[in-house]
Amino acid sequence: MVAFRSTDASGRTTGLLFRCVLFCLLALALIIVDKRFDHLGKIRRLLSVVAYPVQVAVASPFQGWHWFRDSVTTRDALRADKGKLEAELRVAQFRLQRYEALEAETQRLRALRDNTAGVTDRFVIGEVMNVDLDAFRERVLVDKGAGDGVYVGQAVLDSGGVFGQVARVGQLTSEVILVSDASHAIPVQINRNGLRTVAVGTGETNRLKLPYLPTSADVVAGDLLVTSGLGGGFPAGYPVGTIAEVKRDPAQSLADVDVKPAAALDRSTELLFVWLKPQAAELLPPLKPAPVPKK
Amino acid sequence: MMRETRIRRLPMALSAMVALAMAVLPLPAVLDTFRPDFLVLVVFYWCIESPRAGGLSLAFFSGLALDVIHGVVLGQHALALTLMGAWATHLRLRIRVFSMMSQCLVVFALLTGYQFVLFWVDGATGNPVTAFGRWLAPLIGALLWPVLISIMGKVNER
Repeated sequence: MVAFRSTDASGRTTGLLFRCVLFCLLALALIIVDKRFDHLGKIRRLLSVVAYPVQVAVASPFQGWHWFRDSVTTRDALRADKGKLEAELRVAQFRLQRYEALEAETQRLRALRDNTAGVTDRFVIGEVMNVDLDAFRERVLVDKGAGDGVYVGQAVLDSGGVFGQVARVGQLTSEVILVSDASHAIPVQINRNGLRTVAVGTGETNRLKLPYLPTSADVVAGDLLVTSGLGGGFPAGYPVGTIAEVKRDPAQSLADVDVKPAAALDRSTELLFVWLKPQAAELLPPLKPAPVPKK
Repeated sequence: MMRETRIRRLPMALSAMVALAMAVLPLPAVLDTFRPDFLVLVVFYWCIESPRAGGLSLAFFSGLALDVIHGVVLGQHALALTLMGAWATHLRLRIRVFSMMSQCLVVFALLTGYQFVLFWVDGATGNPVTAFGRWLAPLIGALLWPVLISIMGKVNER
């Protein structure tokens, strides 16, 4: 088997060592600059535009297939879908009736407590690009970038609950780190009793954990976890997950709590980028003590 | 000689693009852990096949492309790929006369070195990935080497 055909392999490769050292130094410099300083954001953004065609080329056959499948759906299937969606909409509207009133009330109460954190302002919907980033990190690529106003640290939701946050922004795309990534943590509270803690990702798509709860903490399987809005990154009150299992070892001081994320981390294709209202409390008249009548 | 090197640039760039696309091609989660580093294999092939056509530059810029696509610290894959590409270039005369078995072993060593540099930079920049799965990629890559060079040989013949 003659695998290699060219003749120039026996020729001298002039300055192999020189070029190797040169490129290595360049790469090392890039690593250091990228890690230590923040100057490479623009370069990276430009490079991500160059990578965009490759990503689109990879994702497009899948999108084409979806489009094809959508466009050959039968009338009956569409009618069945429509019926289902109408039923869902009725239920949702029924639930929404009280929502407006409740939100106003919540805002008033929040203003009373001087807590402006976590009121959502507006949404943009992004679509997950069918591209695998890294097998060992929980991240997805979404087709909205700096051009759409997306910023690093922005909260990302899906229809079920909190999905993650923006880790890196390109001009046309952005990278979202999932709540289940091993390096991700999110401030949460238990909806039933308001107990605050931090939910940390595990690196497994369908499991988070609460590593900082004492053994005696009031937490039971089935409890709903919502964002607490502390830290300012995430809007308050969105579901993060439900407690799946609580293991209490009397010898340990901390309980071992597993959480099942509310968002469909491995299935969602449409994500909501959320902008927080900068100063929700300012919209409401500040509460002043009533003037004391002079005598 | 000059003409020969110039002719090879196109298949070089094309094969690198295809390999880059295969690096981000969505696979089921189970298979994803077993994904070999296609682009790295292609770079090794060109480093051995025609080092004078700029195998090392190809290595560096392919590495940069991988950095951007994987969203890791800029320069990580570039460093690993440059080092291993240079090693492959250095060993090319020996590799070319090796039996297929020995070639696969050398490629396995190169791929492991590549993973090790990535692992090291990951750790040094503060987000270590300690999953065992990453050490599978060199093994699978080495097993794929004979397939790759027969395909690349066919492409190169044209």
